[in-house]
Amino acid sequence: MVKKILKYSTLLGITFVMVFPLLWMFRVSLSPVGSLSISEIWTSSSYTLSNYYDLFTSNNMGLYLFNSILVGLIVTVSNILFCFTVGYTFARFQYITNKILFVTVILVLMIPAHIIIIPLYLICLEVGIYDSYLALILPWLVNPIGIFLVKQYIDSLPISMEEAARIDGASELRILFKIIMPICKPALAVLAIQVFFTNWNSFLFPYILTQSDQYRTLPVALALFQGHQAIDWQHLMAGSTISVIPVLVIFILMQKQIVSGITGGAIKQ
Amino acid sequence: MKWYKKTAFLLALPWLVTFVVFWLFPLVYSFIIGFTDYELLSDSINWVGFENYKTLFSDEVFLSSLSNTFIFVFGTIPFTTIIALLLALLVNGNYKGRDFFRSAFFMPSVTSMVVIALIFTNLYQRGGYIAMLVQMLGFNTPEYGFLFDKNTALYSIMAMDIWMSVGYYMLIFLAGLKSIPDELYEAADISGASQSKKFFSITLPLLKPVALFILVVNSIKSFQVFQEIFVMTKGKFDTSTAVYYIYDTGLTTNFQFGYVSAAAYILFIIIGLFSLTQFLLMRRKQPLW
Repeated sequence: MVKKILKYSTLLGITFVMVFPLLWMFRVSLSPVGSLSISEIWTSSSYTLSNYYDLFTSNNMGLYLFNSILVGLIVTVSNILFCFTVGYTFARFQYITNKILFVTVILVLMIPAHIIIIPLYLICLEVGIYDSYLALILPWLVNPIGIFLVKQYIDSLPISMEEAARIDGASELRILFKIIMPICKPALAVLAIQVFFTNWNSFLFPYILTQSDQYRTLPVALALFQGHQAIDWQHLMAGSTISVIPVLVIFILMQKQIVSGITGGAIKQ
Repeated sequence: MKWYKKTAFLLALPWLVTFVVFWLFPLVYSFIIGFTDYELLSDSINWVGFENYKTLFSDEVFLSSLSNTFIFVFGTIPFTTIIALLLALLVNGNYKGRDFFRSAFFMPSVTSMVVIALIFTNLYQRGGYIAMLVQMLGFNTPEYGFLFDKNTALYSIMAMDIWMSVGYYMLIFLAGLKSIPDELYEAADISGASQSKKFFSITLPLLKPVALFILVVNSIKSFQVFQEIFVMTKGKFDTSTAVYYIYDTGLTTNFQFGYVSAAAYILFIIIGLFSLTQFLLMRRKQPLW
């Protein structure tokens, strides 16, 4: 019994440490502008939503939210499609060029992204997509982790189904999208969540590849928000809350897929 | 078999294009301009050989950024790995609320780094929660807050980073724990092995591959630390790291593309050597511990 109490109090203590910063963010976002000290924020009895209201009326939060959703959705959908088709060809068409290409997937998995900061910036300037939606989308249409995930999954499926369909005269496209894709749903769900989260939280590349306010995504807008003057914590934390909520909702609804995605990838590698 | 080759090629095309345009070309391009004096608005680009690399090794700012990066990597990874393992052991059993605790510990890992860094900028400020806590424990706190002091800024960011990432590595350790066959523990029980004996002779040795995987992934990630530095200190108070230096020198102040590409390659080589060593260790047959 004592052991049990000890265990649960340890667990609850750690939970508090892990969750408190997010709760604090939420509490600050609801406090009236100008409350600065900890005690002022906790004792201010008035909970207000006006910080959120201000962000959408006198700040461009609506636009940043739209940008993040737009870019996030396009990148996620294209990754589902392309990681699937590419992963399929690497799993099933063991043609020599394909084998070589799959090696490049593994290589890119190991290349640290910092090496492409400067060249990617210069390429975007050169081809004229710097500071546009295209700069936020084009480099990330398909990603090596996703290809790897799909290939692993298709490798584990029996090939007999496709061969039966091929003998029945089904076209390759039909086999690909009507037979294989539905079976891969679990892997594609994991992939979709990972891509969306990564993109939603991404800061470095969206920041260096755009310049004008018009193309800012939420993380970029938030990181640059504090630069203006003395930090306006209430609005900043309200903006942070807005950017965290979609992720937390998806996280709570789809925990199982998220966890299996992370652990599955780790074990296989 | 013509359709076979054609279909294979068409299906692989999206990756081929992405690979060539966004990875291969940049990789080669930055390697080459690393040997030139290419700058924004420069009239001509001249081949300078290893000059950039030589200058970098006497560039105080770059060297201190590099040393901060090493402090960051070696100062966070042992703590992150050990805490993650302890958390995994804590939530591995079968008890009520286990899944809730797992999710709670993992939650910071799905949150955006920018948001976490903003929240901790608040927590670390003068009169903030962490200053209050440290004072309660009877220690002095920096006058202008933890992030505005050379002696505490980098370590504060490192502590936040550990806090943020332990949940993620906990999940990977959990998967490793699950893959250990129960029979081993049953056999140990029959021979009357103690709890600690079981941990040190079954659990720990069998977790070795997972632990090394975590070390590789975490060190590649940690060598590239950037966002938290950008948001919290902008590289001031001795917190500039290698990637922050690349960004700052290459894209905000001097636009010396050639020079910073050489800097990026030095970091690239360091990460490469580091990962290679870890891979070789992973292949070793005899146990490391």
